[in-house]
Amino acid sequence: MNYRLLATPFFRRSGPCPRSSAGNSRTQSAPTKLGRAVFFALAALPGFQAVAAQTQHRDPDTGAVNWETHAHGVTLSLTQILPDQARAFYLNRGFPPRAAERYATACVYMTVLRNDAAPGELSFRLADWTVQSEGQARPPKSVDEWAAQWRALGLAEAARIAFRWAQFPPEQEYAVGEWNQGMLTTGLPPGGRFDLIARWTVAGKPYEGKLENVVCAR
Amino acid sequence: MSFVHAEIGMKRGLFGLLLACIAAFPGAAADLPPLTHGLTPVAEPKPAPALRLADLDGKPHDLADLRGKLVVVNFWATWCPPCRREMPSLEHLNQRLQARGLKALAVDVGEDADTVFSFTGQLEPAPTFPLLLDRDSQTMQRWKVKGLPTTFVIDPQGRVIYRAVGGREFDHDAVVGQLLPYLPGR
Repeated sequence: MNYRLLATPFFRRSGPCPRSSAGNSRTQSAPTKLGRAVFFALAALPGFQAVAAQTQHRDPDTGAVNWETHAHGVTLSLTQILPDQARAFYLNRGFPPRAAERYATACVYMTVLRNDAAPGELSFRLADWTVQSEGQARPPKSVDEWAAQWRALGLAEAARIAFRWAQFPPEQEYAVGEWNQGMLTTGLPPGGRFDLIARWTVAGKPYEGKLENVVCAR
Repeated sequence: MSFVHAEIGMKRGLFGLLLACIAAFPGAAADLPPLTHGLTPVAEPKPAPALRLADLDGKPHDLADLRGKLVVVNFWATWCPPCRREMPSLEHLNQRLQARGLKALAVDVGEDADTVFSFTGQLEPAPTFPLLLDRDSQTMQRWKVKGLPTTFVIDPQGRVIYRAVGGREFDHDAVVGQLLPYLPGR
């Protein structure tokens, strides 16, 4: 197990873990603030494309890659959760090694969907999203599908509860300013490539955002 | 906070710090989504679901006993990054408005008292409001929470008037401004 990968995310930015995680509620990087300000300024201009360019960056310490796009006032972001990170998280939640390994190698992402400025409250179901890879299209692997596996393996209730609430919500509604952050799996093998199409509705009108050429962590 | 838990906390403080660092939600180092500066008004306020849970010391708390106060109910877990980020601001809000009738309750989902205590002991400021344990997540499901963190504001008549899905800066002036009209001790 690569302990550097486990430790660095929590110490890299601002020192000891509790301060970096809990004490930074006011920290938002200047580039992020500037980027959002520019985005919203442009969005106010007539003719501005509702779908902005996809961005990608790699964490210099862990190597984890993030893909992000803005579409119709909504931010969609996927950040690789490296197998060592996922393994450590679930082993600490009481998963047996076999179960932790199964999840850790299922192409896991920390996923954020955020209603920044959609024309109203959005709603979505993960079952409506599409993972396109090598000519095949299917939804992300569902929480129910995982839960059935954990029940079959006899995982303790506490472990199953932690799993459920650590996942990106299977369905949700976001007013402007609302968002979630959670784990999402595609079920693709390490190194696999795919496009993700996220779909949502606002007042019954369908919208979508797409992330292209996303890569599963190895 | 009881003496027993204070003693446990002292013994486990360093261990808890290490555990929290290793066991926190992975991917937290990625660019953090900004915490939101507002609450979502509920169009048609309805009575809040029941909430009867014990705190870290085993003391029972019942939301029904808080009728007449403005109550902020925050559903969270120690491993949830936005929950961890927003918790100090909830304590700031509580300190700022509790004398005017605001009461904060944080409901941890699926974890035990030692885990929660080890984490909150590292917070600055540490929460002074009740930390309740929803070990089987039944309360969270009764409140129809779909993701963490989710927060509800209950008016003095016991109705849900605001919700907040995702992390918030609860002590931001915009949030405080939304709460002020509902405080019983205006």
